[in-house]
Amino acid sequence: MINFEEELKKFHPSLEVEDAEEAIYNQDLTDMADLMVKVVKESKAAEE
Amino acid sequence: MRCYNCGCNLSEHDFCTSCGADVSLYKKIIYISNRFYNEGLEKASVRDLTGAISSLRQSLKFNKNNVEARNLLGLVYFETGEVVAALSEWVISKNLRPKKNIADDYIDMIQTNPSRLDTINQTIKKYNQALTYCHQDSLDLAIIQLKKVLSLNPKFIRAHQLLALLYINNEDWEKAKRELTKCVQIDTNNTITLRYLKEVDEMLAPEEGVKTNNRKKNQSDEVIKYQSGNETIIQPMNMKEGKGVGSLLNLGIGLVIGIAIAYCLILPARIQTAKANINDELRIVSEQSDAKTATIDELEQQLSELQESNSNLEQDLQAYMGKDGSLQSLDSLMKAANAYLTNPEDITTVADYLEEIDLDIQSEEVEKSEAFEGLYNTLLALVGPSVAESYYNDGYEAYRQENYEDAIPNLEKAFQYDPTNGEALYNLANAYYRSGKEEEAKAAYQQIIELFPGTEKASKSETFLAEMESEE
Repeated sequence: MINFEEELKKFHPSLEVEDAEEAIYNQDLTDMADLMVKVVKESKAAEE
Repeated sequence: MRCYNCGCNLSEHDFCTSCGADVSLYKKIIYISNRFYNEGLEKASVRDLTGAISSLRQSLKFNKNNVEARNLLGLVYFETGEVVAALSEWVISKNLRPKKNIADDYIDMIQTNPSRLDTINQTIKKYNQALTYCHQDSLDLAIIQLKKVLSLNPKFIRAHQLLALLYINNEDWEKAKRELTKCVQIDTNNTITLRYLKEVDEMLAPEEGVKTNNRKKNQSDEVIKYQSGNETIIQPMNMKEGKGVGSLLNLGIGLVIGIAIAYCLILPARIQTAKANINDELRIVSEQSDAKTATIDELEQQLSELQESNSNLEQDLQAYMGKDGSLQSLDSLMKAANAYLTNPEDITTVADYLEEIDLDIQSEEVEKSEAFEGLYNTLLALVGPSVAESYYNDGYEAYRQENYEDAIPNLEKAFQYDPTNGEALYNLANAYYRSGKEEEAKAAYQQIIELFPGTEKASKSETFLAEMESEE
């Protein structure tokens, strides 16, 4: 059974066009490749 | 594929041929990213947009530089109505690959059309407002607002879902299903949509209707709710239907209400229609009347012109004919001349013709014609004395016999043809006096005094004048 109040909480305000710039800057762009490079660099540093 | 360490192109080996770095793991990461991209592409192609978004996000988690995956993610966002999210992905994509990037076209498509961008912004603002209404329990306003949002952007999945949720809350299952069906048409595998749809289907299923009724009964045992078109009818369970007189009373009230509605709604509309028809007809008649008035004015103007033309023609004709028959005077003069030339002794005939000439006309109109005047004077000189004598003799004879009626015209003619004949004028004056025409007599006596001064006739005339004045 759907609970209206609970379901309503799942809906969030949509980003307006004016907020797009901020959203882009705040986006976390770290990917697995970045993590791998970081791990490789750290392991190399540890070896040295 | 480029080396993460030096940026050189990688070969099939698991190490970089340029810097020697181990790229086996890096290659696997890139492969996984590409695999997720392919998966996302497949899902997007069958309109599983939610699945596509999930796969493409995974792809970007492995490789943020996967521009194709990012562009496709933006496109899928755009399709679901999440325009700002789409723009964000395309802008990042453009920054990662400034040239030869299809994201350029997508961004241009939105930015070069300010009205479209404005519509998008309005849609988002209205959606947020609707959400605010929901939190404020103004659900009716929220529904109205969401309908506006969907009229501006019919592919806005979240708006459809929220509207469906509001309908579900109102137990308006048909409308909820309609909205959810639209959602499914846009995004076939959206979890929220499918969950709501399942709930709605359960409520609409016949075998589940009992459950629904039971649930409703638990909520309120005292009412029955049922759907009639777009209306939800709520009827109390314990309401007793009226019978007999009550039914008739209800029927009568219904009839009265029906008649009242007819008078209030239907009749004004019909009157309005009739008025509109009358106004139309009046306008047509008015136009016809105007046209006829214009025609009449034109005809009157033509008539006026024709009358003027006729008047001019008549004037021309009179100019040709002369006033009061001047041509006739000319004709009479010609006849007189002809009669004299034919028989100079027939003075009477010549005189008759000369008398037919209107002397007034002759003096005004023909005076300008020297030939007319010359001929007239010549004839008058030739026959005048004889005619004058003839008239004088006849007049005097009548005068003597006291026949003044015959005497007066003959004596007048005699004096006319011979103005030196004072006897004729004197006898004429006496004839006037004796026939009671005192005014004419006075004028004639006065004329004698003026024309023949110092004569016996003049002194006698003075005596007569004095007597007449003393009598007065």
